Amino acid sequence: MRQLIKTLFSTLLLVGLTSPLFSQDNMELVGQCAASAGNVTYLKDFPVKLDAGTPGGKPPSAKFSLLLSKNTNYRFTICSAPDSEGEAMLQLFEMNNLIGSTYNSTTGKDYPSFDFKCQVTGVYHIFISFKDGKAGDAVGILSFIERL
Amino acid sequence: MIKKCFYILLTVCMLNACGSCGNRGSSSDLEVPDTLMYSDAIIPDDEISGFIDNMSSPVEMAALIKSLDVKFSNKYLASTDNVEDFSTEYQQALNLGIYGLDLGYLNMYNKTNAVLDYISAIKTLADGINVGQFFDFATLRRLSQNDQNLDSLMYISVHSFNQMDRYLRKNKRSNLSVLMITGVWIEGNYLVTQVYKEVPHPELKEKIGEQKIVLDKLMLFLEVFKNDKQLQAIANDLKPLKEQYKDITITIQKGEPQAIEKDGTLVFIQNDVSIVNITDEQVKSIIAKTEEVRNKLISK
Repeated sequence: MRQLIKTLFSTLLLVGLTSPLFSQDNMELVGQCAASAGNVTYLKDFPVKLDAGTPGGKPPSAKFSLLLSKNTNYRFTICSAPDSEGEAMLQLFEMNNLIGSTYNSTTGKDYPSFDFKCQVTGVYHIFISFKDGKAGDAVGILSFIERL
Repeated sequence: MIKKCFYILLTVCMLNACGSCGNRGSSSDLEVPDTLMYSDAIIPDDEISGFIDNMSSPVEMAALIKSLDVKFSNKYLASTDNVEDFSTEYQQALNLGIYGLDLGYLNMYNKTNAVLDYISAIKTLADGINVGQFFDFATLRRLSQNDQNLDSLMYISVHSFNQMDRYLRKNKRSNLSVLMITGVWIEGNYLVTQVYKEVPHPELKEKIGEQKIVLDKLMLFLEVFKNDKQLQAIANDLKPLKEQYKDITITIQKGEPQAIEKDGTLVFIQNDVSIVNITDEQVKSIIAKTEEVRNKLISK
């Protein structure tokens, strides 16, 4: 009997991990966030779930690399999950240079999205983190607006 | 106690299985993919962590062509007639990417009447590599019957591909993910080069030259799987094409970026200027080689 329960646990784990239901909440957040981006065409989503950072340490962040094309206007949107402890922000980098962000550290103002008018085809990086190094759950969306 | 525990577990298992049976092939769900049976095809996570998203976007490639007022033509599309002949996981993943690009092109031009063939072909191939559960065929078929549903059709198509790609990567089947990306890229390059033959617009010429950047990255990904003979065969097919790009140069003049707030939206403007140096002869060679490689890949 114990062996049977062991087998069932293994099966449950396997079925659970491979089931689409495993990421149902995430899919809902992606759909809502993509819709909130406005009249644009969804291209990619970047789901992020991070633990809280250590006191005095660097806030944890998730990095994604993506290829962007010249003469294209993109929109980056960030949405924190309703039950997320921390508020997410998305930053765009070219090499080591910050070239876009949903958070303006000078004014302290947050934006749900920003547009990026790309003039150089190449690899860019986005970092998603939570303010004050809090734990959180969020999704970033890359959308296509138009050719420039 | 043990008996009670057994029944609870059994119920949870059955509920979970039923919850996912609506859009999954019930008999194939727990099949072990071919790729997991070959140890040298499994790549450690740290080796694939340098993946680049949006390497080749069907939406962006089709949008470029449409923005130049180029008329739609189905002669650029890969035929779906032989989809059942793609019997290996490698062929299925590669052609999944090829049809994915074609679907983006059809959607961009709102050719909903032809979409059904492509979503059916994609579903067949996706089931073949056990990712069909992420391709919402029923909804896509319903949406394709009305040309007012373009936004939803685009969203579900692109999102389905992203989910399939992510699932493959997470489940140590990154070789198939790389093949999908390769398929999208080669078909995108085929589309833009074929269009350029008839509409030699400078923006298309530049786009063709810029593919040097993407192909370089793609070749690096393929090289990661150096023990995978079938991926290396595809890398070898692409090498002569890469050779055609070797003398193309791209120079960048740095400019001062701008940040403005317009109608409540934050806009960042990159003021760099990139110049692609590519001759007509080089374009001609790339067009010919792309056609050769693409036609070989879809006929395998």
